[in-house]
Amino acid sequence: MRKIFFLLAAAALATGAPAQRRLPVIVPLGRPAPAPALVGIDALRADFAAQSGGTTVYFASDSSGLVPAARAVLAAQAAWLRRHPEIVVRIEGSGEHGDTRDHALAVGAKRAEEVRLHLILMGVPAAQLSAMSWGKERPGAGRAVTILVR
Amino acid sequence: MTRSFLNFPLVVAALGLASPVGAQDVQPGAPAATVIAIPPLTTPDSGSKGNEMLAVAWQATQLIEADLRQTSEVMVLKPNQKDYYSYPEVTAPTFSKWRAAGAKALVTGFVQARADGRFTVGCYVYDVDKGRELARKGVVVAGGDIRRAAHKCSGLAYTAITGAPGMFDTRIAYVAESGTGDATVKRIALMDSDGFNHSYVTMGDTLVLTPRLAPHAERIAFVSYAGGTPHVALLDLGSKQQTPLVPVQVTSFAPRFSPDGGRIVFSMMQGQNCDIYVVGAGGGAARRLTTSPGIDTDASFSPDGSKIVFESDRGGSQQLYVMNADGSDQRRISFGFGGHAAPAWSPDGEWIAFTLRGPNGRRIGIMKPDGSGEKLLTNGPNDDGPSWAASSRELAFQRPDRTGRPGIFRVTLDDSQPRQMTIPQAGSDPDWSGVMD
Repeated sequence: MRKIFFLLAAAALATGAPAQRRLPVIVPLGRPAPAPALVGIDALRADFAAQSGGTTVYFASDSSGLVPAARAVLAAQAAWLRRHPEIVVRIEGSGEHGDTRDHALAVGAKRAEEVRLHLILMGVPAAQLSAMSWGKERPGAGRAVTILVR
Repeated sequence: MTRSFLNFPLVVAALGLASPVGAQDVQPGAPAATVIAIPPLTTPDSGSKGNEMLAVAWQATQLIEADLRQTSEVMVLKPNQKDYYSYPEVTAPTFSKWRAAGAKALVTGFVQARADGRFTVGCYVYDVDKGRELARKGVVVAGGDIRRAAHKCSGLAYTAITGAPGMFDTRIAYVAESGTGDATVKRIALMDSDGFNHSYVTMGDTLVLTPRLAPHAERIAFVSYAGGTPHVALLDLGSKQQTPLVPVQVTSFAPRFSPDGGRIVFSMMQGQNCDIYVVGAGGGAARRLTTSPGIDTDASFSPDGSKIVFESDRGGSQQLYVMNADGSDQRRISFGFGGHAAPAWSPDGEWIAFTLRGPNGRRIGIMKPDGSGEKLLTNGPNDDGPSWAASSRELAFQRPDRTGRPGIFRVTLDDSQPRQMTIPQAGSDPDWSGVMD
């Protein structure tokens, strides 16, 4: 039934009907459909992002040193990862877009490795962590993102 | 070097080597173009075969003209079909006619049909003022390869005039780009330097970066993200076989072949340290050349293979260093404001090209291998990745075009404006090969 109403409305729009023409009133039947429940890795990713204050830490230009804000995020990430020893994450580092290609690749690798080492320091088993660099190949310069892979 | 050649012109001509016409005038910053005449090539054949060969000869003439027109050292008098000459005049041109036309150099030649269906193409280069032959060359090509024969003639003329190898019969590898942001697809592409024979050598299913051709373009080293970690891969262009240079779990990048093709230098991460390594082009154990903490990358061999220029941020900012090929005697050569990155040693050994990272963005520059004579060639602000032409008088580099798409440009050392090269889509990371055999 609802489908038909949508079709009518769509047909009316498609023919460019003037506004004063009488349109069928669309009445939603029953309760609104619930938002799709997050399951599996998506739910875990959302929980990880919410509880650790973000998946991303930012760096000063050309630097791979952790600023205090980054340490706070990583402390929360580490706590979450310790509670989920079954989870494996990949840390993706990025360089600056204004940098040369190869230097940016190395800077991104250093940043990802800095995050990996810091998480190990905070008690996360190394087996849960891997690191790689995007250099300047992806949007989002100057950061390292922790991504749940499984 | 070029002056000593001039002292022995007869020996040089006999050897078919370069006898530069006014090469001493051609210095960066002081362009002096040599006027060259290219009347239409002729043929010894007669009848309908002769007409057919004349058509091919005219095609070759126009290709030679187009080649030489790309250079800043040579100024071409437009070929005119009324300047036709007979076959015997190929080796006995009327110098007075070309002297009157203002030409300093002259190219003559012929196209001859062979019994096997292929063509013989002969080319001669003359010093018009002296009425003397400078160089000659004959090549046999299949019908479809008249372009390559013309490139050989162009190279012969360019070398005779400038003393530098021509870059007409060379190839360019680059990264072809489509899409934007996370959806960017990058493929390694390969083409002749005049834009012909374009092909893609990777499929686009994996992110790839920085192709580097072996000296005669028979192999390509590049960075592949296959498996998730960027690593150096080697692709044989004949067999299409792809192999990793070092274990793929370790981040490795910035490969470059040695001038003899026997070794490859590259960068590899170990923890947070990025150092330069060398490995035989056939594989084997990599040898570490640098040990400083920080990022050492973008190594490039000197033409004799004895030295390596690279960039390092060991001093706080990216700067250029030169070391022996075994890693000994590392010396900083770049100073001054801004970072110097992505060095490339010229094929003639005279210059090191680099990307300057300064307050006005990224620009391409050159300096002598001892760090003197620094000079910027482009205005930026997003230029990167200089790669030398075989002539050592021109560089390819990447720069976004007016619409912001990554493009490939070429610039000469003589203060002329960079020109965009024509490629089928957006492109970056150009690498220019040596002259094909």
